[in-house]
Amino acid sequence: MADTNVKPDKVVEIPLSTVEIPVGPQHPAVHEPILIKVYAEGEQVVRAEAHTGYNHRGIEKLAEKKSFYQDIFLCGRVCGICNSVHADCYVRALERILDKDPPPRAKYLRTLVMELERLHSHMLVLAVTAEIVGFDTLFMHMMRDRELIMKAKEIVTGNRVLADYIMVGGVRRDLNSEKVDKLKKILSKVEPAIKHYQKVYEEDVTLRKRLVGVGVISPAEVTTHGLLGPVARASNIPTDARFHDAYDAYAEVPFRVITRKECDCWGRSMVRFEESFVSIEICRYILNHLPQGEAVPDERRLPRRFPEGEAFTTVEAPRGELTYYVMSKGGISPYRVKIRTPSYNNIINTVPFYVGHTIADVPTILASYDPCISCMERAVIVDLRRGGRRVVSLRDLARGVA
Amino acid sequence: MGALPLLKEVLKNIFRRPATIEYPKVETPVEPDARGRQYADLNKCVGCSLCMIECPPKAIRMEKIPEGYEVPKRNARRMYPVIDYLKCIYCYRCVTVCPTRAYVTTSEYRLATSVATTSRELSLSTLKKAAQKSSGG
Repeated sequence: MADTNVKPDKVVEIPLSTVEIPVGPQHPAVHEPILIKVYAEGEQVVRAEAHTGYNHRGIEKLAEKKSFYQDIFLCGRVCGICNSVHADCYVRALERILDKDPPPRAKYLRTLVMELERLHSHMLVLAVTAEIVGFDTLFMHMMRDRELIMKAKEIVTGNRVLADYIMVGGVRRDLNSEKVDKLKKILSKVEPAIKHYQKVYEEDVTLRKRLVGVGVISPAEVTTHGLLGPVARASNIPTDARFHDAYDAYAEVPFRVITRKECDCWGRSMVRFEESFVSIEICRYILNHLPQGEAVPDERRLPRRFPEGEAFTTVEAPRGELTYYVMSKGGISPYRVKIRTPSYNNIINTVPFYVGHTIADVPTILASYDPCISCMERAVIVDLRRGGRRVVSLRDLARGVA
Repeated sequence: MGALPLLKEVLKNIFRRPATIEYPKVETPVEPDARGRQYADLNKCVGCSLCMIECPPKAIRMEKIPEGYEVPKRNARRMYPVIDYLKCIYCYRCVTVCPTRAYVTTSEYRLATSVATTSRELSLSTLKKAAQKSSGG
């Protein structure tokens, strides 16, 4: 804006207009492709749009062509970080169609793997948040200690990342006392490390300046926009499928739902830190109270053909409530597999909340939602036959009407 | 100041050995039962193709066992599974569905090779070579 007190002939007038800045699709905040198109006036964001579709792989359609059992491994590959929760949700849907209940030991082991996954997922996003803020040292340290949990996952499942652990009627590997001891040692190393990083997050001036009061979402907005997971819990909305649905061993394992009242990026980080401690507590409880009995089903004796039926299951992924709808018309392949991931709501519905912040805050806010692009890429609305695009309102998209 | 405890650790790290595993010099520690390269033991395999049918990424093909090997009688069709390691996702579905538990599992993760991209040689090496007389049949 031109200063009116200065003489006009000495001032170079720069016309203030809206500038369109693409944030992404290459590395907008996380290593996954999404384009946040930001319209800025000066430094301030006046409008934002989310453009998706860079990572669409047609998994739902592929799931209809493969058999029920092949889909367990396919669903695990929807998202690398939360692969066990995807597999668990799908397998529980299959078990509901088959009217089969896994043994208690298997339920406990499933819960253990999912909690380890939550732990490393939360550590990853907290590390990435620190990196975006510019605190690369913290990022490196957190990623170093995250390796311990990856090792724990390898001990339980046989692989660092892709677990392929959950099977209809149980799990695919059992734990022995030697492995239990190893896991307990790892947990005792990880807990003080995370406490240390939480202290850094709480006290560091740079992190506080960049995170406190940024990306505020009021509890009312969380409800109207259908936000899930830590994003909702940081705005004091106690939504947690582990608590409401009490699937697997969550009905028997004591745990608490973490909520914060900050409503901003910092509050979301704190929710993740505190949830990490809850996860460690759950893991410890499971390792100490593991029921005896069989956990591994003989995969050669599982029924190949499924009866007619449908099932809708939910699971609390590290990013929020994940739901699967599986429909069987009999035979060896599902008729329909519908996946709704929490990132879908959390990324697309939070677009209005960038407005009013500076451009530098955009990646910070995006990272605070813990976006998982590969999870959410499953709704491309392009009409090839008519050669046009359909414009769908955000509300319809979020409801899944479109 | 929150950075202060971190600063202490940073200063300590200057004198520590690197946390990164220096891979070619030092081997990455892997659990003995980690899911690595697997192949079929042809002394147990009956050539039923179940692993091929169940394989999620369709990485397994059934092939005819070449002449010159002593094949067990129960594998009458002389078929055996060949895994394409470039397609394999190491989910071990083939290992668990095998009716004769014929698969040999290893924790071998170093698969970057220009030679053994399939399990053909590993599987055939489990069979004895036939004596010259019977090799014609």
